[in-house]
Amino acid sequence: MGLRTYIITRILLTLPMIMLLLSIVFLIIRVMPGDPVLLHFEKKASEEAMAEMRRILGLDKPLYIQYFEYLVGLLRGDLGKSMQDFSPISDQIFSAFPATLELAISSTLVAVIVGVLLGVKASQSYNSLWDHSIRTLGIAVYATPIFFLGMVLQLVFAINLRMLPANGRFPPFLLEPNGLTLQLGIQTPDLVPIVLWFVPIGFASLAICITVLKRKRLRFWPNGLIAVLSTLLVGWVICMYLAWYFPSARTLHIKTGLYTVDSLMEGSPLKFVESIRYLFLPSITLGLVLSGVFTRLTRSNMLETLRLDFVTAARARGLKEGAVIYGYALRNAFLPILTMMGLQFATLLGGAILTETTFSWPGLGRYLVDRINFRDYTAIQGAVVYFAVIVAAVNLIIDLLYAFLDPRIRL
Amino acid sequence: MHYNLVLLKVLKMKKLKDSKRGISTTTIAGTIILIVIIAVAALYVLELPPFTRPVSKALIMGTTDSVESAIDPAQAYDYFGWEILQNTGCTLIEVEPGSSAEADDYNPALATQWTTSTDLKIWTFTLRQGVLFGDGTEFNATHVKYSFDRNMGIASPDGPQLNMEYDAIIDNVEVVSKYVVRFNLRIPFGPFLGLLACQASSIVNPEYSGGWKTNWWDADSWSTDDVVWFANGTDARTRNTMDLGPYRLANWTRVAGKDYEMRLEANPNYWNRAAEGGLPKTEEVIIRFYADATALRLAIEAGDIDVAFRHITATDIEDLKDNPNLHVWQGTGAAIQYMIFQEDHVPGLPQLNDAKIRRALAACLDRPEVCETVFLGQASPLYSMIPTGMLGRPEGVPGPFAVLGDANYTYAKSLLADLGYNETNKLEIELWYETSGHYPSSPDQAELYKSQFEASNVTTVTLQSADWPSYRINRNEGVMHVFLYGWYPDYIDPDNYAFLYWAPWLGHHYIGHNATNNYSAMKAAYDAARASTDETERISLYNELEGYAVEDCPVVPIWQGAAWAVTKPNIKGVYLDITQNWRIWLLYEE
Repeated sequence: MGLRTYIITRILLTLPMIMLLLSIVFLIIRVMPGDPVLLHFEKKASEEAMAEMRRILGLDKPLYIQYFEYLVGLLRGDLGKSMQDFSPISDQIFSAFPATLELAISSTLVAVIVGVLLGVKASQSYNSLWDHSIRTLGIAVYATPIFFLGMVLQLVFAINLRMLPANGRFPPFLLEPNGLTLQLGIQTPDLVPIVLWFVPIGFASLAICITVLKRKRLRFWPNGLIAVLSTLLVGWVICMYLAWYFPSARTLHIKTGLYTVDSLMEGSPLKFVESIRYLFLPSITLGLVLSGVFTRLTRSNMLETLRLDFVTAARARGLKEGAVIYGYALRNAFLPILTMMGLQFATLLGGAILTETTFSWPGLGRYLVDRINFRDYTAIQGAVVYFAVIVAAVNLIIDLLYAFLDPRIRL
Repeated sequence: MHYNLVLLKVLKMKKLKDSKRGISTTTIAGTIILIVIIAVAALYVLELPPFTRPVSKALIMGTTDSVESAIDPAQAYDYFGWEILQNTGCTLIEVEPGSSAEADDYNPALATQWTTSTDLKIWTFTLRQGVLFGDGTEFNATHVKYSFDRNMGIASPDGPQLNMEYDAIIDNVEVVSKYVVRFNLRIPFGPFLGLLACQASSIVNPEYSGGWKTNWWDADSWSTDDVVWFANGTDARTRNTMDLGPYRLANWTRVAGKDYEMRLEANPNYWNRAAEGGLPKTEEVIIRFYADATALRLAIEAGDIDVAFRHITATDIEDLKDNPNLHVWQGTGAAIQYMIFQEDHVPGLPQLNDAKIRRALAACLDRPEVCETVFLGQASPLYSMIPTGMLGRPEGVPGPFAVLGDANYTYAKSLLADLGYNETNKLEIELWYETSGHYPSSPDQAELYKSQFEASNVTTVTLQSADWPSYRINRNEGVMHVFLYGWYPDYIDPDNYAFLYWAPWLGHHYIGHNATNNYSAMKAAYDAARASTDETERISLYNELEGYAVEDCPVVPIWQGAAWAVTKPNIKGVYLDITQNWRIWLLYEE
């Protein structure tokens, strides 16, 4: 089977999976007690008013027609309108998703880095105190409830040490006053003060560097480059500090919805640090809980790989231990870890619901919980379909990566 | 050449080559990373002060509340929606902060003086002159008429003025002259000033309130624009109808239909701007929304916010009282919790239409135990549906339900024995509570009530629960046998509590099965009390009404909550009085 056939088969297999999930969700939420129509009325409404609301929400039609209409809408890319506030579901999901995505990416990073490093360490010191401690730690973090770990971290870092914020996504003073509207492209007024200061300082530093290099007869690479880079960086620090006094630089303009990316796009390391500060505790919480799986998986895979001949051969050639472990053994042991990353992504989105609640993180997880409370059928369906598509897409990407990393798959 | 010498030469050459090449790539990468880290850290430290305390001196408030309906007086029914209405809008009269909202506690606001006819059916108000809307239009009597007509006629899914029935009280609003407006009432209504001071009576700006439709279910004309709802991506100004209050809603950010941040800015046109050295006391206030009480507690403890208002749990309040970096404010609470007995038949369960059963169950309740164990002393036992602190219910005098006693099992047993219930043939009831945190500690309360009922040895209780949306539906459908419910006042008057005995939206709990027919006597006392402004007469009428209520027990009061706010120690201007108004415009940092 060629790679192309493989990809097409995988995509075609994903579609029925999403359809099946959608159908189950569609039926289950309608079987659940509670009625979105009744929830529109605080007091007991008249039959006439309720019938009309049912008609407006399309709930008066037979179930199979509702299902069919929903599918037709879905094919057009229309997720429908919220049964609670009548706004388009796609807008709502679009506004909440970046927060979840940012959390998911950062916690995956934490999970993989912590998990793999600890796993490698454990396999290197097989059956030693290190190994036992790491294995125990792996099980312990995996078994820890997310909200518990989150609250412990909040207590230590936010309340006792006051190093990090306890909740939220960004400092209140720095968000764009007109709300989280998505705009693509950098707005010129924000760049003006930065460019104004940056250009002369940058040119001046470049000129100084070149003069010094010529006088000392040093080569441009690498000494000169380091000098130029450091001067530019210092210049940038000064510029950003000065730019602070321009009001437009004080707020973060939301473009992608990923605050870390947005702050970098604005060229503001300080907004970047702020977004990282807010992201830190939630991603550490979720990442640590997930890291347990990676620790154990890396350890067992590494133990097998380290026994193989090519590792012994690499050592015999006198390679450094670090190069043997990370350059040869880990690269081979990494394939199952990659698969696990895909599988864990679903767990991650589930865990995000708890993490988002613990840290008041305004993402899709909180959105879903909130909408279940309102029996907002279209919103629940929309969010679940979205989750399903993401999980399927991530798994597909991982499978493709697998194919690239391991040529045997392509055969 | 000797092999060793050759090797030495090669090594020397390699060394020479290395020195020519300069530094290795690893070192370069390391240096660059180090520089970046140092630069970012330096920048961060340099710019830190403006972050932690901005130049604007804005106050940050945290809450677990959120806008549940809309910031429109014609639709808002939730606490927080009203809170924003109050801080961004203005009514004809206001209640003096810190008072108990009695007759002489009403201050002029948009009206400067008022008179009433002897039959209490005609109320005339003289309006303040020179008050400007945001667009420069001068406020006058037509705006008052517009606001009330809109409130009574608006096409809202819940009908006009939810639960408040303005149209049952007000017949019409008449513009007498540019600055004089007259309310002609359908019934004599004593607490009319209370009604006018509540947030639902805020005056709207016609420019932003956009007319109304009178028949929302008319399929072709229906749209959600009738009430001013939140609209994503539009100017915050067009999302609310308010224009005359101390603040303007400068920003209202919602992520996926959930409140995320709000920003209030001082209204330069506010009529009372010059009072008390300048109102509002803080020019800018940012409101941040938290997922739950724990998150809010952590935020105030971590110093992320200056003020935490609603909700912090009883245990957290106890903890925070010992925190030297925080100040805990306690005030009179007007929120009450009560128990409702469904008289209509619930299949498979004994019908509670006999007042003896209801009285017996009421006698089993041990209110002090609930207040001490569940609320750690932060709620007080309630023996009247009209809370302590209000007209005719002074501190220290227990209300009419005190005659049934607390944990009065002998009495309960004797009542139930008359109906054939005893230790072998126990009365089986279902007690319902909600699980969404709508009321504080509902599951703990329910467990305790169960144990109190069962301590009588003649009752068996099955606990049932539902999340808030289902609970509300169950309430409407009348399928919950015995259930817990709460009330938060619309306007501060016993009138707004006394009707709870027969409130139609509480299901079918009091439908007059009782032979004594106290129902009509209670209703008569209630109507007489609302048609009077004589305080002595009203107190006696409410006592008469509750006297009947103790005999019938259609609902039983349990406890009255206190109001709490937690602030940094330098925050002043917190008023937590019986009105439950959260006056953000009086808050300031010392």
